[in-house]
Amino acid sequence: MRFLDEFRSGELARRLSREIGAQVEPGREVRIMEVCGGHTHAISKHGLEDLVPDEIDFLHGPGCPVCVIPMGRVDDAIFLAEQPGVTFATFGDMLRVPGGRGSLLQAKARGADVRMVYSPLDALELARRNPDRRVVFLAIGFETTAPATAVTLLRCREEGIGNFSVFCNHVTIGPPLRAILDSPGLRLDAFIAPGHVSTVIGTRTYDFIVRDYGRPVVVTAFEPLDILHAVVMVLCQLRDGRCEVENQYTRVVRRDGNPRAIAAIEETMELGETFEWRGLGWIERSGLRLRPEFANWNAETRFELPGNRVEDPKACQCGEVLVGAIKPWECKVFGTACTPERPIGTCMVSAEGACAAYYNYGRLALRA
Amino acid sequence: MSLDRASCITCGDVAVTARVVSVSGDTATVEVDGRREQVGIELVSPVEPGEALLCHAGIALQKVDAE
Repeated sequence: MRFLDEFRSGELARRLSREIGAQVEPGREVRIMEVCGGHTHAISKHGLEDLVPDEIDFLHGPGCPVCVIPMGRVDDAIFLAEQPGVTFATFGDMLRVPGGRGSLLQAKARGADVRMVYSPLDALELARRNPDRRVVFLAIGFETTAPATAVTLLRCREEGIGNFSVFCNHVTIGPPLRAILDSPGLRLDAFIAPGHVSTVIGTRTYDFIVRDYGRPVVVTAFEPLDILHAVVMVLCQLRDGRCEVENQYTRVVRRDGNPRAIAAIEETMELGETFEWRGLGWIERSGLRLRPEFANWNAETRFELPGNRVEDPKACQCGEVLVGAIKPWECKVFGTACTPERPIGTCMVSAEGACAAYYNYGRLALRA
Repeated sequence: MSLDRASCITCGDVAVTARVVSVSGDTATVEVDGRREQVGIELVSPVEPGEALLCHAGIALQKVDAE
């Protein structure tokens, strides 16, 4: 089962495209930020920018976890991977992210035992099968991925597995949105909010955006028709002078999210005082760390990490891309010194990074 | 869930809808496009064979409403 065909119908897409065209006021630009890297990827992959009038400007937000990880944390990961007896596991895209000391893939080439997994439960299984190894899982992602880490930690505690720990880099979606909304000179009319994060935390998370900042929000799924439908919903709100959190993705997203997933996260993790985001700087109470009760499984307490801060390469403009200040093709090194094969910045590494999405789908300059 | 390898798993985009084939304790065997995988169901249980689940990074995040 894929449930996809009905959300990729060309005929329905053209109908929605016409509806968007009818809603747009000629010459009045509407700037919509899609928060999630998955939306950015879908917009590029399906050519949605060509299906909307010139007045619609998609700004690509900070919702790609790989893209917002600072280089110093990558160096900490490499340090962990190179410790004696450590088997280091993480998701595939993290392996290629460049830090100040290269990437995890390069550490693997130097002899570190670095494994790619699709779930933290797979990393836990590595620990079960290799009791003589210290398995460290690099946890990364927003609230969509955090429940998997939480479930893994709860199972780990229940089974009393001692050779497993988590290097926690989970982040939350609300604080960076507030940081963007607080940035001076911001010109932004509405948000398309991430569907699967909202499956976990619910649509109520975005209430502050309409209440405190007066910007409409539409929570949306990831298929092309979903995104076009969300644009229609945004335009209707703007036309009617409404400012609400609307839910386009009713098939899985509830107002309160999944309370059991939230409880699992809260049982195992807590908000740290501050967390560094690439492009956005330090944001208070935006990153998750393991609770003291889980210190035995916390890589940051079991190992002494260098914790060095590493400046981004001067040529890299990921920071400006991540807050929608420039388009990927406006970066000085886009597509030349920085490509998916040899990325300088994180936005070119992840498939959901705005730069990789533009590069891979041939959107190399301003549309004609 | 490893069923959509074209995308980055750190992103919620990779969550996919899968049909439950069987259930054993906190784990369900699910099927997508004829491929079967196991997912943790602590956060959505109880589930029954035939139900659709939104799965991500090895666990089920939510039951999917039939529309």
